[in-house]
Amino acid sequence: MAEITVTINGRQVSAKEGMTILEAALENGIDIPTLCHHQDLTPLGACRICVVEVEGSRTLVGSCHTPITEGMVIHTHSDKVLATRRMIVELLLASHCGSCFMCDKANICELRKIAADLEVGLPRFQMRKNYYPLEDISPYVVRDLTKCIMCRRCARACSEVAGHNVFAIAYRGFDSKVVVDFDQPIDKEVCRDCGVCISFCPTGALGKPREAKEEKRGKPLIITS
Amino acid sequence: MSKIGEGTNPQSQEKRDLLVLLERAQSRSGYLSKRTIAELAESLGLSIGEVYGVASFYSFLSIKPQGRNVIRICKSLPCYLKNAQTIIEGVRKEIGINPGETTADGRFSFELTNCIGACDKAPAMMVNDDVHGDLTPKKISKILQAYK
Amino acid sequence: MPEKRVVLANCGVIDPEDVASYIERDGFKALKKALKLPGEQVVEEIKASGLRGRGGAGFPCGLKWDLARKAQGDEKYVICNADEGEVGTFKDRYILENDPFSLVEGIAIAGHATGANKAYIYLRAEYHFLLDLLEKAIAQAKKKGFLKHLDIEIRQGAGAYVCGEESALMDSIEGKRGEVRYRPPFPPTKGLWGKPTIINNVETLMNIPRIVLKGAKWFGGMGTERSKGTKVFSVSGDVAKPGVYELVLGSSLKELVEDLALAKKVQAVQVGGATGRIIPGDMLDTPLSFETILGAGAVTVFNESRDMIDIVHRTLEFLAEESCGKCAPCREGTEAMAGILERFSKGEGLEKDITVLGELADTMMLASMCGLGQAAPIPVMDSLQHFRGAYDNRIRQS
Repeated sequence: MAEITVTINGRQVSAKEGMTILEAALENGIDIPTLCHHQDLTPLGACRICVVEVEGSRTLVGSCHTPITEGMVIHTHSDKVLATRRMIVELLLASHCGSCFMCDKANICELRKIAADLEVGLPRFQMRKNYYPLEDISPYVVRDLTKCIMCRRCARACSEVAGHNVFAIAYRGFDSKVVVDFDQPIDKEVCRDCGVCISFCPTGALGKPREAKEEKRGKPLIITS
Repeated sequence: MSKIGEGTNPQSQEKRDLLVLLERAQSRSGYLSKRTIAELAESLGLSIGEVYGVASFYSFLSIKPQGRNVIRICKSLPCYLKNAQTIIEGVRKEIGINPGETTADGRFSFELTNCIGACDKAPAMMVNDDVHGDLTPKKISKILQAYK
Repeated sequence: MPEKRVVLANCGVIDPEDVASYIERDGFKALKKALKLPGEQVVEEIKASGLRGRGGAGFPCGLKWDLARKAQGDEKYVICNADEGEVGTFKDRYILENDPFSLVEGIAIAGHATGANKAYIYLRAEYHFLLDLLEKAIAQAKKKGFLKHLDIEIRQGAGAYVCGEESALMDSIEGKRGEVRYRPPFPPTKGLWGKPTIINNVETLMNIPRIVLKGAKWFGGMGTERSKGTKVFSVSGDVAKPGVYELVLGSSLKELVEDLALAKKVQAVQVGGATGRIIPGDMLDTPLSFETILGAGAVTVFNESRDMIDIVHRTLEFLAEESCGKCAPCREGTEAMAGILERFSKGEGLEKDITVLGELADTMMLASMCGLGQAAPIPVMDSLQHFRGAYDNRIRQS
């Protein structure tokens, strides 16, 4: 693939044609936060956390799906970009259930990590939250869709990595939801124990059933003064 | 009723025909039953969830049983400015149910919908595929009589 | 300026069920002329005319066609967007009801110019009652031998505003949920089923036979520097004469709403539907053009008795209901804005909400995946600019 030259954050760097902006940035040691994106999955562009400024573009562009082209001038951490990312995280937190201290995945939650990195605290506005009953009848996977942020990594991982097709997206807008069959709780009939989706879920929406005495996963938070 | 897609050979049905097939099933049976959805999924090689996902996306497709006639009153601004609320009230009184409900005899389902493109005849509503405009509460009874 | 009927020239004149009455009025003459020319030359003529898309975005039509014509592909598609879902728009309905033949002719010319041999008309579910008329028009044109190079198929929507957005529309034709796609790739290179595709609004395609027949120069003689030709408007709300009006681009909003539609005591006008600009009553001399305000030509008038916060709240509720839900800024942002506006409409706004609305607007405009989310904040920000007092009065006194 042909080498191209682009400018990222004021520095001239080289990239290869066919790469996305995200890949090119990563290769040059620039870290762009992502949520719905995962290197093993087809880009979706849904969460918009990875947006960057490309000079000449009216809007910000999703770096996970936009091909990099010769001469692009890109800002990955401008004020505009950071403000946008912060507001998206604030929105996701505002409709999120927010019970981190009770969440098994709190210490490895990507949403929480990004919120911390971007210094987003408590949302400044109230929003409707989608509360769904906990789905814990399957011996292999527990779904708590109240914690779902609609990144669809589970659905893509199930079809693209595990080779199944258990999940689908139903309804529309704020009511949209990752469903199984006729929007019924996931059970052992439809899903085996491959656990692929669990490892792809960035939040606490998917987890393994907790056995008695099992410790919370992840490293404990170490508070330093 | 819809002729769309009737030229499609049932043997060569493909995933790309899903919406057309759902629309056809809807106009045939009034709604998309679990059985219809499961059969379509089977024949097109899709998961039930995928078919359900498409069916639940579009507001003119219904995954709940519907009455024989569906009343859709426009609730968007141009109709709202022309007192659509009085039409909603009028229909509610006439058939005795609230939006989102179906009459016990299965004659009518009642829904509110977004702009139907009849703003020059606001307030307006659709009954099945028919558009009725320039409504007044007085006209409702007569209009609905035609739908059995 | 009085009305100028170019697009609507045949409306109410021909019999929409009889192709002979259309042929009598120079119908299909443009197609015959175009078919004798290489596609490239037709594209050049459209380019030279300055015709821009009438569906709201205003993309230069000839440029779109050129991209699709030059794109590599064994199959190419023309899509006519007849999913007129913008709140307050009904001009395409009026056009389809009265002159379906000009549309068929426009599509046929587009097929020849771009090298497509398959076309779809995506008709919104609410216009199901027009299906027979449209099918008849296509069948009659075919019988007369005008559609040898192109197959036209009608696909119906199933009730989703977002399907008027071109990428969601393509997903819908593909039988899927009408969700938005990220771009690039753009439709002229990779559209329907991954093939080069042009998507044009009904009104855009109606202009094509006129331009081909009378020439780019004639067309370019109407309008302003960057807005050529005429525009068909749908006027509704607080007016004595709601309806469809066609004006030369650059005419003022006043001519449309006061002189033609007979509006009185105008407080504000929303131009462009739910995501359109809100123009206060003292700015009615604003010209209607791509340079200023236009959208798809939905014009909704609010008189002095109307509560603007109620209006904007309802608009955002609509957009939240119709968001496809794929990208976070639109899915969550429209919901959050509707929630804040609901509080204002009840007199429970907070001072800090004004700041939050501004930040939400920036994020949605900059980061949403499609025009719905990008333009959803427009009525909110316009109302904050022009009717700030109404907001201040609704801030909770505590």
